[in-house]
Amino acid sequence: MTAKTAAIVEIAGLTKVYGSGEARVTALDAVDLVVPEGQFVTVMGPSGCGKSTLLNLLGGLDTPTAGSISIESQPLADLPDDRLTELRRRRIGFVFQFFNLIPVLSAVENASLPLRLDGDKDAEERATAWLERVGLGTRLHNRPDQLSGGQQQRVAIARALSTEPALVLADEPTGNLDSKSATEIGDLLRQVSTEWGRSVLMVTHDPRIASFAQRLVLMRDGRIVDDLSLDGTHEAPRTALEKAGLL
Amino acid sequence: MTLSLTLAWRYLRGRGARSLLTTLAVVLGVMLTFGLNGILPAMVEAFTHNLLSAAGKVDLTVTSAYNQPFKPDVVSKLLTVPQVATASPGVQRTAPLPRSADAPADALAQVIVVGIDLATAAKLHDFPVASGRMLAAGDNAAVVMNTDLAGELGLRVGDQLVLPAAGGTARFRVVGLLGNVTVPGQEQVYLTLPAAQQLFGLGNRITQVEASFTPDADRAATEKAVAAALGPDYQVGGLSSESTLLASLQVAEFAFTMFGVFALATAGFIIANSFRTVVAERRRDIGMLRAVGTRRRTIMGMFLAESLFQGVIGTALGLVAGWLMAAGLISAVGSIAESVMHLRIGGPLFTPATWISSIALGIGVTVVAAVVPARAAGRVTPLEAMRPQLGEVYERRVGRRAWLGVAMVVASLFGLTTGSPGLIGLGAVVFLIGFALVAPAVVNPIAQWASRPLELFFSREGTIARSNLQRNPGRSAITVTAVMLGLASIVAVVSMVTSIFAGFTTYLDKSLSSDYLLIPQSIVLGQGNVAAGPRLAQEVRAVPGIGPVSTLRVAQATSNGTDVQVIGIDPDTYLQVAAFDWNSGSTDAAVGQLRTGRWLIANGIYAAQHNLVVGQAVQLSTPNGPRTYHLAGIGNDYLNAKLSTVYTSQQNLQRDFNTTADLLLMANRTAGADPATTKALLDRVVAGYPAFRLYESWSWRAEQLKTFNSTMIIFDVLVVALALPSLLALVNTLAISVLARTREIGMLRAVGATRRQVRRMVMAESLLLSVIGTVFGAVTGLWLGYALVAAMSAVGWEMPYAFPWSGLVATVVVGIVFGVLAAVGPARSASRLDVVAALHQE
Repeated sequence: MTAKTAAIVEIAGLTKVYGSGEARVTALDAVDLVVPEGQFVTVMGPSGCGKSTLLNLLGGLDTPTAGSISIESQPLADLPDDRLTELRRRRIGFVFQFFNLIPVLSAVENASLPLRLDGDKDAEERATAWLERVGLGTRLHNRPDQLSGGQQQRVAIARALSTEPALVLADEPTGNLDSKSATEIGDLLRQVSTEWGRSVLMVTHDPRIASFAQRLVLMRDGRIVDDLSLDGTHEAPRTALEKAGLL
Repeated sequence: MTLSLTLAWRYLRGRGARSLLTTLAVVLGVMLTFGLNGILPAMVEAFTHNLLSAAGKVDLTVTSAYNQPFKPDVVSKLLTVPQVATASPGVQRTAPLPRSADAPADALAQVIVVGIDLATAAKLHDFPVASGRMLAAGDNAAVVMNTDLAGELGLRVGDQLVLPAAGGTARFRVVGLLGNVTVPGQEQVYLTLPAAQQLFGLGNRITQVEASFTPDADRAATEKAVAAALGPDYQVGGLSSESTLLASLQVAEFAFTMFGVFALATAGFIIANSFRTVVAERRRDIGMLRAVGTRRRTIMGMFLAESLFQGVIGTALGLVAGWLMAAGLISAVGSIAESVMHLRIGGPLFTPATWISSIALGIGVTVVAAVVPARAAGRVTPLEAMRPQLGEVYERRVGRRAWLGVAMVVASLFGLTTGSPGLIGLGAVVFLIGFALVAPAVVNPIAQWASRPLELFFSREGTIARSNLQRNPGRSAITVTAVMLGLASIVAVVSMVTSIFAGFTTYLDKSLSSDYLLIPQSIVLGQGNVAAGPRLAQEVRAVPGIGPVSTLRVAQATSNGTDVQVIGIDPDTYLQVAAFDWNSGSTDAAVGQLRTGRWLIANGIYAAQHNLVVGQAVQLSTPNGPRTYHLAGIGNDYLNAKLSTVYTSQQNLQRDFNTTADLLLMANRTAGADPATTKALLDRVVAGYPAFRLYESWSWRAEQLKTFNSTMIIFDVLVVALALPSLLALVNTLAISVLARTREIGMLRAVGATRRQVRRMVMAESLLLSVIGTVFGAVTGLWLGYALVAAMSAVGWEMPYAFPWSGLVATVVVGIVFGVLAAVGPARSASRLDVVAALHQE
């Protein structure tokens, strides 16, 4: 697991508390986690266990109550909003449950969005290359409403990869898809880590999709309760969940 | 930035219907500001063109300050000024043409008779003879005129032209026709000076001197020098009647600009509302854009660019629509102007200021209205993209602004109590802004209160509608404000029109209460009327069946440097056939007082101009020198409602102004006399006086009202144009609120609401919003209307404020009908929502 040395994500004592007094909720409770380069990690756990909060904090979309996060050795706490925005744009890719494509832009325009924000002259070409890699070479100029759910999610993945990020964060990427499309997306995300060398952190409820990952992190009540390697079989995540009493 | 533009443009196109509604609001606003302001310059241009083309090479015109004929020695005085090259004495008066019974309604009713001094006139005007010959010295019964005018009159060389004279009629033979083109309103026929003097009974006196300057003369300095050489009895320059006309046009310009600004402000609210909803709808998109690394500034830029696109497109279309509106209105009033005022108005004219202000306002209002929503969009956090949408966010942030609004409303009340037109006008605007600020805070309580009657008609759906409306007071307030602005401007216009109309009919009824009127055909234009000697009144009195007869005589005076019209009445008979509309504190006793010496009655305009109180001394400069009069009372009559006027006894008029001719006769029938016989007998008397027309009062009144009503078309068009933006505001807000609640409506349908119930719910919400907006609009509009009437009075168009009852009812009905109309589309689409799709809607 430490064959590739550089750690992309380093989290230490990460705590997030919402509200105060009686309404006080500890969403994350002193979590430590390290994700090396090119690893595909899936996070599972019951609703409210803190997995989405973890993802938001990692993406710099929310600020922690305590603890630290570093992406490629850069502590997020030190960054002003504009630098954080820039970091998100260049080093982190997002894949959302609801795809979140801009409805009035075509596939290639959506995929090239972060590059264009960065002022990249070759934005469209690079986005086209990524769309071809994720299997959408023939649908470049279709708008989201002319694509199936699975295809839309492929556009979202191409968008996440277009800036060559170090880390891809995926929040329930298959939650809105039929099982066939879900499997294809799971496979594609594995490809993202194994072939294209990005670290992937995915939150999911679906043990079958989780099985595409190399590593499984199980959470409950804001804490990591188990952290294990997966063997690629569909049964492995389910067995782990049962063992941890999460099923 | 290019990305912002791309996104803005794509979103704009992607939401076609919405963009169209919003842009249409801008179009209407720009159309009103631009179009209305294009009409006035066209009219002013028509007037000045009219005057200029008649003027020839004339640099300066001298007339009597009292509109009296004067001695020809003025010419030699004028020539003492070194820069004056030529001075030509002349007579210029209007003469009515005898009207044949079968003449078409638009037949020429009068011509301007010009007596020219043959030796000097040719140096100032061209008289290119096309056929026949020019006038020659000693031609006492000859006339020349332009060929086109002769054609209109059906005359050829050798024919005779019959003109009314003081003692009957006079005939002139057409000896020549000229090649000049006649300007409408300047239909001139030329006589030799002695012939004209004889026609009008002037002796050797003249009515004007025209002069040209040496080529190197400084125009302003020369005019000054001439004025100094001639003294205060003469008027140098243009016609004094122009200034009152221009003052009226300025008021119209002010009102037009105000309506345009109102329409644009309404558009601003529509745009702000539209963008608020757009931001709410795109929260997920914005969140995602932020998540993938878009800066706040880029997001703001995107919305501002979108508003800029709409502003530019809307303004461009608005300019086109405004041009069309101006052209349409001008052609609508053009025929009236041509027949009543003898003015030919060209196409609409747009000054650079109109272009600049319309474009700046159109684009500016749109972008400014989008600033607040755009900033809100910039504040959307990336996390919004991760969450499923929870629906609209309850907003509650109205406290401080509401109190500011209350303070403004209170402050404006003080403005109202001052009675100063400026402060009343300012107060009206402050009042309006105050109301707009208070609206968000009071919408909920008002909705609460108003929903009780609503629930009577809409039962449970009414309750749901009310809570929908209360859940988002910000949006409700914007709709209410947009409706308020739209309707306020309508109520203001209606108030103004009602007041003008009421003042008009009051004067009309009171001052012309006699049974018969004998009026020269151009009575309202004070100058150049042909008057009658005492014989006409005597002949009328002698007609069997005629009771009291009273006459009016007219002279001009100046008082403290301003012109005033002096009307001579007979105190013994005036009140038997006419009446004054008295201002408070004055009574009919004032008329009796005129018998007792130099007393006068002032009309409202004159009294306001000089801040007069009853009993005060007034200096009038008369042809016989300054005279001191005292004010007996303040009262108004119809004919002089628009002119600064004083009334005194005919005895005073004779003594101080040398005027003895009757300009207008009023007569009553005796009880029991047969109307038909009396009229026939009167007709026979009047036949000998072609300058005069006999009216039975009811027909004169009807004729006046008809003319007046035809000009009302302009106001009707205006009201429709003003009402449209408020309809748009309602449709827009409702459509938006339905779109924004798609999911909620789907849920209602899923748990068992029928299509009918959903439709009724949307309808009830619309009705509630429009009722509140209408009430607000009515209250603010009444004030604004009052301010407008006060402003008109301040510039000299006195009229009593009349409460626009029927207009108010009409406006309220329009507001409520619009509320229902606006809801039809959105209610249908809400009730037809596919439940499953609606529930899945993000």
